[in-house]
Amino acid sequence: MFDLTVDIRMQRGSFTVAMAANITAPVSGVFGHSGSGKTTLLHCIAGLVKPDRGLMSLNGETLFDGGQKLFIPPHRRHIGLVFQDAQLFPHLSVRNNLLYGYQRLRPSQRRFELGPVVELLEIGPLLDRRPGQLSGGEKQRVALGRALLYSPQLLLFDEPLAALDERLKKQILPFLRRVRDVGIPMLYISHSMDEILYLTDTVTLVDHGRIIGHGSYLGLLAQTDSAEFADGLDLRNVWEVTILENNRQFGYSVAALNNGRLILPPAPADEGKKVNVSVRAGQVALSRQRIEGITIQNQLPGKILQVISRRHGALVEIDAGVVMVAEVNGKTVEDLNLRAGDMILCLIKAQSLEYPDS
Amino acid sequence: MTLTQDEISAVALSIKVATWATLLSCPFAIAVGWLLAKKQFPGKPIMDALVHLPLVLPPVVPGYLLLVLFGNQGFIGRWLNEFGISFAFSWRGAALASAVMSFPLMVRSVRLSMVLIDPRLEGAARTLGAEPLAVFFTVTLPLALPGIFAGLILGFSRCLGEFGATITFVGNIAGETRTLPLAIYTASHIPDGEAEALRLIVLSIVISLLALFTSDLLTRRVESRLGLRSTDV
Repeated sequence: MFDLTVDIRMQRGSFTVAMAANITAPVSGVFGHSGSGKTTLLHCIAGLVKPDRGLMSLNGETLFDGGQKLFIPPHRRHIGLVFQDAQLFPHLSVRNNLLYGYQRLRPSQRRFELGPVVELLEIGPLLDRRPGQLSGGEKQRVALGRALLYSPQLLLFDEPLAALDERLKKQILPFLRRVRDVGIPMLYISHSMDEILYLTDTVTLVDHGRIIGHGSYLGLLAQTDSAEFADGLDLRNVWEVTILENNRQFGYSVAALNNGRLILPPAPADEGKKVNVSVRAGQVALSRQRIEGITIQNQLPGKILQVISRRHGALVEIDAGVVMVAEVNGKTVEDLNLRAGDMILCLIKAQSLEYPDS
Repeated sequence: MTLTQDEISAVALSIKVATWATLLSCPFAIAVGWLLAKKQFPGKPIMDALVHLPLVLPPVVPGYLLLVLFGNQGFIGRWLNEFGISFAFSWRGAALASAVMSFPLMVRSVRLSMVLIDPRLEGAARTLGAEPLAVFFTVTLPLALPGIFAGLILGFSRCLGEFGATITFVGNIAGETRTLPLAIYTASHIPDGEAEALRLIVLSIVISLLALFTSDLLTRRVESRLGLRSTDV
């Protein structure tokens, strides 16, 4: 079982860091604005920064104990770190960058090999180049591979997409999901909740050197209605579906979503392939009964898990085989008397579904 | 222009002294440069000042101190004599004097190149399992190589020009401690020696220019081999 326990204090000039958290989700995010102390937290976990006081342990192994003057140095922690700006070694080829940590492992410790990682991240053509000859997105993929090949027991991400433009971000995110699905525990730091939610819905909130919340994203929304972290957020549902049929005559596709079927815009993949689809929470409508004679083809039955009232509207979390979130007007929640446990139909226009990875 | 026996001797001696002095300083300069660039420790400002002292003192002062310490009657010199090592009035002493005088220049160059290496790059190496020594040899040192080379050439050039400390410490003995600058000084002090002095001066200029050109060439080579200079994209 994954278990990261942090209870640390440190003073850096006038900035006080006092953070305590117990993270058991293998993949989770840390959200905070710049200057909130989230990078300090990450560097403490990696061992690059030593807290003044406190305790830190990972999976039962103590990494830091201020009272016992115990501090495991970073090179003995087996915790990988992907920096915002890749930090590839400029004097080494891409291949030797990738192998830098790998070569320091005993063969029995190696969980990944160069070939599959290169394939996973599609960096084969870059192997003999120098980092100076790579684009920002390529650098970040190599940095990802380098960290992965070190087979870390935890992989930390320090805003790995912050230095990239929107187009490149979209290109890298799928690779992050691939890395997540490989089964390495991840802690993903970002000031973009969208990025975090793309990977996980377990979030730790950091502000002014403190941890102000930890848990599922929707749970946090329910606790802290006015929390500014959620303001202006474009909440999206992301699901993995299997394409069943590509109808070229009418230009649509049919996919399997868990037990249900979903009508989609033409898929960028062949039948039988898995793709990610996303839909904004605001584009999911709710209905008590099946509606006939309407152009909305996707009407997925589900059970309401919780209703979260917010300043602007309400969020309804539904178990429809997969978890989906609908953002609806607060008044309709009252009018329809939506409650946890109710059966409901989720209405999604095919045209509102997107393929975020392409 | 063909060189006389004395001129060849002075040039050869200068190069021998400068080469040994540079090789002697190099490891220490790298170590001290690294300490000053990357480490915080008590007494760092004192160390910094001591290292730079030869740069600001009149060269006679370090020369005299070397004489006191390493001369045959000196504190360290007497001890070394027991092992059959003597610096006094020999080219080895000239090399030691040059090493001391060029040391701050080399340290400065090494330090600057190491300060410019992003600490996060070294951090990345550590999170990939590299212990501090491995980080130094696989990241810090290779990336500082251009600066180290520049420091070596700068130090070498400084050694070629060393005068004050050398003449104070080991005197002006033809064929043993009379390097180019001392030979120029000697020539300019004997009657009708101006022509000879001028020949030596031209020689000095040629050697110094060669050293600088070599330095530039080497630095470029090293930088492009390290991928620090983008030759093609």
